[in-house]
Amino acid sequence: MEEQLVECDVLCIGGGIAGIMAAIRAAEKGANVIVAEKGNARYSGCGRSGNDHFETYIPEVHGSDKEDFIDELLYTAKGEILIGRDILRAQFAKAQDVVELWDEWGIPMRPSGQWEFAGHAFPGRTLTHIKYEGRLQKTVLVRQARKAGAKIMNRIMAMELLRSGDRVIGALGVHTREDKIIVFKAKAVILGTGKCSRLYQGLTPGTMFNDGHGGVQTGDGRAMAYRAGAELMNVEMPQRHIGPKYFAKFGQATWVGVLRDAEGKAVGPFVSEPDRRHGDIIMEVNKLSPEQYGALGKGPLYMDCTGMSDEDAAYMKHWHIHEGNIGLVDHMEAEGVDPQKHPIEFSTYPLRGGGLIVANEKAETSLRGLYAAGDEAMGDISAAATFGWISGDSAADFVGTVEEGNVEECRATIDDLKATIDQLRGRDYGPDWEEANLALQQVMTDYAGKVRNEAVLLQGLSHLKRLKEKVNTEMMAPNQHELGRCLEVKNLLDVGELVFQTALDRKETRGLHNRPDYPFTNPLLNRAHVVRKEGDEAVMGWRKY
Amino acid sequence: MPPIIDPKLCIACDRCVNICTEDVFYGSTKNEIPEVTYPRECVHFNGCVDACPVPGAIWLRVPMSSMVVYRESSDYATPQGDPHTRSLAD
Repeated sequence: MEEQLVECDVLCIGGGIAGIMAAIRAAEKGANVIVAEKGNARYSGCGRSGNDHFETYIPEVHGSDKEDFIDELLYTAKGEILIGRDILRAQFAKAQDVVELWDEWGIPMRPSGQWEFAGHAFPGRTLTHIKYEGRLQKTVLVRQARKAGAKIMNRIMAMELLRSGDRVIGALGVHTREDKIIVFKAKAVILGTGKCSRLYQGLTPGTMFNDGHGGVQTGDGRAMAYRAGAELMNVEMPQRHIGPKYFAKFGQATWVGVLRDAEGKAVGPFVSEPDRRHGDIIMEVNKLSPEQYGALGKGPLYMDCTGMSDEDAAYMKHWHIHEGNIGLVDHMEAEGVDPQKHPIEFSTYPLRGGGLIVANEKAETSLRGLYAAGDEAMGDISAAATFGWISGDSAADFVGTVEEGNVEECRATIDDLKATIDQLRGRDYGPDWEEANLALQQVMTDYAGKVRNEAVLLQGLSHLKRLKEKVNTEMMAPNQHELGRCLEVKNLLDVGELVFQTALDRKETRGLHNRPDYPFTNPLLNRAHVVRKEGDEAVMGWRKY
Repeated sequence: MPPIIDPKLCIACDRCVNICTEDVFYGSTKNEIPEVTYPRECVHFNGCVDACPVPGAIWLRVPMSSMVVYRESSDYATPQGDPHTRSLAD
C-alpha cells in the first residue's frame, strides 16, 4: 500500500460542524489547516442535511445573568448532561457570535428578520433555542472553510494519533477507497469525530444504519484519544433519544403535537394541544416515557399532531426539512401518513455509546496539541459550532509555540497499522465487519444495557474480550470500503471494553447507568469518572466537574 | 433497497457517488450509471437526491423495517380496525 506524508499546522479529524468550524477559525488565524473526513464533508455528521434549532444566549432577550439561562437549559435540552458549568459558561459567552457569523456567511439564522425562539421549553418559561434554516449549512460552512484557506481531504478515516513525549504530533489516516495510508504531521490535532453509534443494537437491529446520525459515527475520536493516552470521562453513561418508530430521526422538538398514551391521555402536564412555540417538553424531561408506558401496559405512545392548523402543519413540515428530516417527510407523504389525521407512534430509542473526551473551556484535552469539540466533547449543534470555533482558535495559538514533531519516532505505530490492514485485507475467509459488529452489539445490549449487575458486567466483558481476540485474528475485509468498516468495529470494541470497565467501577445507579446491585445514587459519585490508558490498564479516578 | 436509480434518466455525472458519506455507491465506475453496492448502509439523508441534477433520476426507497407506525385516527376510544376473528363455541 502507498504511504503518503502530509504536513500541516492543524489537522481537523472529522468534517462535521465542529471540525469545519475549527478549520475555519484556525485558517483565519493563519494556520495551515487540513480536514480529514471519512465521508464527504459536504454531507457528513449530524448536521449533514440540516438542523433547525440553535441554543443561544442573548443578553437583550434573556437578561444580563447567564446563570438563569444555563439553569433553564439544564432542566430541558441539557437535562442529562454531566459536565462542568464552566464549559456551559464558555459556550454561551461565544454562541451568539457564532450565530452572527453563520448568518453573515449565508445560513439563515433569522429567516423572519427577528430571532425566533421556539421549542425545547416549558410554557411560560425562558426559551433557549432559536429556529434557523440549516438545510444547506454544510455547503455554506465547507465553502467558508475553503475560502479561509483550509484544505478538505475526503474519504480519509483517521485511525491512530501519533505521540511524541506528552504531545500529539499527528495522526494516521486510511483511505476508504484507495489502497493507501496517510501519515499526517501536524502541530495540533482536533477531534471532531461525533457520536458513538453502532455500539448497541439500534432501533431496527437488523439494519444498523437506521440511526438519527447516519451510521458512520463510531466513536473513532474517543477510541484514538484513549489509545494515545488522553483522558475520557463517564464512558459508562449511555444516552438515549426519542422519536418516530421505526424511522430513526432526530428533531423531537420540531413536532407540533402532544405525546399521548393509548387512551389519548397526554403523558405530560405541559401542553394539551399542539403548540408550535413550545412543542411537548415531556419528551426532553423523560425520554423513557414510551418504554415505561409500554412496560406498564399503557402503550403505545403517540406524537399526536391532530388538531393542528394547516399553518402549523406547513410550519412543522418546513422545520422538519431544515432539521434534516426530508427523508422522513418524503416517506410519510409516500405512505399517506398525515400528522394532521394520524397520531404517529414514538419510541424511546435504544442506548447509544456514551462517554466524552475530557476537554476544558478552550477545547484542550489532557494531551498537549490535542483538542476535542462537538459530540466527542459535548453534544448539540450549538456546542459543536461554538467549541469547534474555540478549538480552532486554541489550536492556532498553540501551533505558534511549538516545532513540528518527528513522525518517524512513531514508525512502530505506523508499521503496526499497515500490518493490521494487510492482515484484514489478506484473509480469504472469516467474519466480515458486519458479523463482528452484530456480535458486539449483542454483548453490549445484553450485558452493558439496561440492567447492569456485577456478574452480568463481568460475563459481558469476558465475552467481549473473546470477540476482540477473534476480530484480531480472523476478521477480514474484501475491499477498502469494508476495511474502513472493520476499523470502525475495532474502535467500537475498544469503546465497548471501556464501557464494561467503567460501569463496573461506578458502584451506584445514576441516569441510565442502572446497577440494581447498587440501587442508590451516591452523592459522592456526582463526579466525572475519568479514565486513562497506562500500559495495558485502564486507570480510573473521580474528579469534580 | 435504497437508493433507486432510473437508468433512463441518469446522466452518469457521479455527483451522487461523490456526495454519499456512507459511500453506498463504492466501486462505481466513473461516468457510468452508479452501482448501489451497499444499499443497507443508506441512512436516508437525501444527499444523493439533493445532488442529482435530474429530477427523478434517483430516489430513496424506505425499507419495510423503517416504516413509520401510525394510528388510523385520533379517536382513541374506538379500537383500531377489526381483527376479523371469531371465537369457537365451547
